[in-house]
Amino acid sequence: MDDILNRLARCVEYGKTDKAASYPPDMKGQDGADELAKQALEQGIKPDEILEKSLVLAMAAVGDRFTRKEIYVPQMLMAARAMNAAMKHLKPYFQSGETKRKGKFIVGTVAGDLHDIGKNLVAMMVEGGGWEVIDLGTDVSTEKFLKAIDENPGAVVGLSALLTTTMENMKKTVAAIREKHGAMQILVGGAPVTMDYCKKIGADFYSPDPQGAVNYLRQFGA
Amino acid sequence: MGTERVFSIDFSQLDLTVRKIENMTGDQDGASSGILTDLIAEALDEASLMCSVKAEYRIFNGVTFNPAGKTVSIDSTSFDISKIVYSQIRKSTAIAIFLCTAGQEIGTASGAAMKEGDLLKGYLFDIIGSEIVEAAADLMQNSLHKEMNASGLGITNRYSPGYCGWNVAEQHKLFSLMPGNRCGIALNESALMSPIKSVSGFIGIGGNVRFNPYTCSFCDMKECIYRSRRIKPAAAK
Repeated sequence: MDDILNRLARCVEYGKTDKAASYPPDMKGQDGADELAKQALEQGIKPDEILEKSLVLAMAAVGDRFTRKEIYVPQMLMAARAMNAAMKHLKPYFQSGETKRKGKFIVGTVAGDLHDIGKNLVAMMVEGGGWEVIDLGTDVSTEKFLKAIDENPGAVVGLSALLTTTMENMKKTVAAIREKHGAMQILVGGAPVTMDYCKKIGADFYSPDPQGAVNYLRQFGA
Repeated sequence: MGTERVFSIDFSQLDLTVRKIENMTGDQDGASSGILTDLIAEALDEASLMCSVKAEYRIFNGVTFNPAGKTVSIDSTSFDISKIVYSQIRKSTAIAIFLCTAGQEIGTASGAAMKEGDLLKGYLFDIIGSEIVEAAADLMQNSLHKEMNASGLGITNRYSPGYCGWNVAEQHKLFSLMPGNRCGIALNESALMSPIKSVSGFIGIGGNVRFNPYTCSFCDMKECIYRSRRIKPAAAK
């Protein structure tokens, strides 16, 4: 069992999507994440084991390498592509409720801001960390965040802003969430955001990179 | 209002290379894998066929600066430009308002790729779109510089609403001074531009202003991808 999960983890970490993928060169012609996830299920390995003992570990390794600046956004996205190839085999089990995720993570870029790359990276890494992600997109109003929170009790929320001027909208949204859902965990991120700003506006956590968010969320997962 | 210039820019004029895009991904050593450089080359080829790059500027003479409020008035419209932008353009005797766009297609292609789950292609189109519009704005700024230089005047860097503390909502005022903008850029309620890969802003003009080759130290965005690479002062060449 460990062998196939290790191979799957390696495929995800290095972005080997499927057998046809020519990248990485040293894995050319070998099964990729797509085939290995399918084989793992056929061997009777439970979906949550595949997630926890392979995909989550692989994405954590990717996140750590990104934090150390050993890889860049494209390599993370290649890993995500491989993870998605594996996840498509697991999703039916999550959807049926047979296998549980760690929790729900609502994420969006605040009102007045259309930047979504950073938000997408966080969403992808959090999903790779075993969470169900509800992505509200960009230019998200406070009302839309509140509606999603109402519809998903117990979720954690993440807000992104890339413009110094839309940080003000982040502040307003955090205040509105705090007023209605006092104890809710609120994560913030984006190029101009800092830990000081996070504290100042009453959010719970700031990370300059996606893996920081994944690590922080570990304490809240089911 | 003074001079008005409109530019239709050919993709080949932008001098975009795989290496430049690779650099924007964070890889400044050129250590990316072959597949990534291939994907960048492919995305650049696609972008070259889909983009319709346009730029324009209008020069407004008779600008008035208000040191107390850190505002500037252009044709009776007052802009609250923040102390950072104010300090950089306050010696200007005229201001060029500029617009520039890479066109709708590249942003649409990026969004579509991401929606289909191809985040990498979506990301590459996104940074290529950003590079297109910045390169086009450099060309536009170069042209303005040459024109002003011929009259013995200098220009400042370009400054945009949404950055350096200048509220993005001021876009509405900026666009009100560019009626019938030739770039075809529209604003939404949040003052965001469509096409998404567009830039707008001010460039100060005067006998006592200068282009600053490195302005990142003024900015709050410590993790900005542009911070690590020194701005090439195209307009100051």
